[in-house]
Amino acid sequence: MIYLDSAATTFQKPPEVARAVAEAMRTMSSPGRGGYGAAMAAADTAFACRSELAELFHLDNPEQVVFTLNATHALNIAIKSLVPPGGRVVISGYEHNAVTRPLSALGAKTVVAAGPLFRQDAVLEAFNRLITPGTDAVICNHVSNVFGFVQPVEAIAAICRQRGVPFIIDASQSAGLLRLDMAALGAAFIAMPGHKGLYGPQGTGVLLCREGQQVKTLLEGGTGSLSLSQEMPDFLPDRLEAGTHNVPGIAGLLAGVRFLKKQGIETICHRERLLARQAAEGLRKLPGTRVFAQPRMTAQVGVLSFTAASRDAETIGGALGQREIAVRSGLHCAPLAHRTAGTLDTGTVRLSFSHWNTAGEVERFLEAMREILP
Amino acid sequence: MEHYLIIARSITYAQRMQRALGKAGIRCRIFRAPRDLTSLGCAYAVELAPPDLTAALQIIHREHLDPVQIFLPQAGGMREVTP
Repeated sequence: MIYLDSAATTFQKPPEVARAVAEAMRTMSSPGRGGYGAAMAAADTAFACRSELAELFHLDNPEQVVFTLNATHALNIAIKSLVPPGGRVVISGYEHNAVTRPLSALGAKTVVAAGPLFRQDAVLEAFNRLITPGTDAVICNHVSNVFGFVQPVEAIAAICRQRGVPFIIDASQSAGLLRLDMAALGAAFIAMPGHKGLYGPQGTGVLLCREGQQVKTLLEGGTGSLSLSQEMPDFLPDRLEAGTHNVPGIAGLLAGVRFLKKQGIETICHRERLLARQAAEGLRKLPGTRVFAQPRMTAQVGVLSFTAASRDAETIGGALGQREIAVRSGLHCAPLAHRTAGTLDTGTVRLSFSHWNTAGEVERFLEAMREILP
Repeated sequence: MEHYLIIARSITYAQRMQRALGKAGIRCRIFRAPRDLTSLGCAYAVELAPPDLTAALQIIHREHLDPVQIFLPQAGGMREVTP
């Protein structure tokens, strides 16, 4: 199989991730639940993973790294910590349902700071105009999961700091690909999956919390601390980590993060950009295609959408699947992004790359496309 | 040898204490705090050799890891002291 759906999950993981998961299942129980060897081994692994992530994203302390089920879980905690029912929130025009659905559930007054695709200046201008007094939170993904558009989160963060508005960054598509400095950004929260650019197993996610940030619990339960109290602990990570941890997942995530650091974020990002450019240039030569790519990919990473006049997105996705080429077609759980880009009616076919893809695979994909499109 | 016990808020804080002390060359061990020493319910303690206590407390304070409780060995048991 040629796997080009890493924006959903990096299905191909480093071998050491699978080994770490298996080792954890064999040797580790549950952190914070005992003083015996297996419990302490689990605790050591969780602490090592928090510490690696804190270093990668420039947090002062490992307890600011909270383990979640996925990025959606992390975003729900962040949003529900900051946005009261009916609160005012400014979001980008490229947000995922993981952001818009929790806001809808809260009955939030959601204002969209939309700008044309790949126009960071226009997006920034919209945020600058719409972040007004009374805004409860600003939410922006670093990279669009549909188009790979890199949004100007550093500049948006600066506006938020200046105006005292808490900022939530959805780093689902950028964690492990682009540098994120929590300390410099001053964001209230950064949410990310563990199973995409960090190369951990599915079922892992991370919420980075600003030091001193107030958080609301989504779940209450056992934490292995302050057991006599019927209130959740008021300190992290315990406050947000009720119940047994996904220790095999955390062990795999630790291995994934170490793999990533060894390879180098910039190296992987550069490689993915080259593959996306190769695919974009090839697709543009096919009849009736519309390719959503910047020529030099200055505001885009290795996520690429396209449409074709003669075949709808699902038909193309199905035809590629029959040829053992995995892509994602449709709306990618991000109707707002498609509305902003003008592709809501058609959806798109999305290619997304990882460390494991090759130029040869892209060429085989293009050969398949030449067969599929008349 | 008898040891001093520093009760941490959680396993993560105990691990941070252990790491900070380890960087300073102070060896310690994390273990479950004896139930009769703390009113917190489940808790973790960092165990130190007596000569290291003063230096350890300075490091812990500097790292903003202020202990919940500290116990000193006393004949036949432990005595809590103010952090």
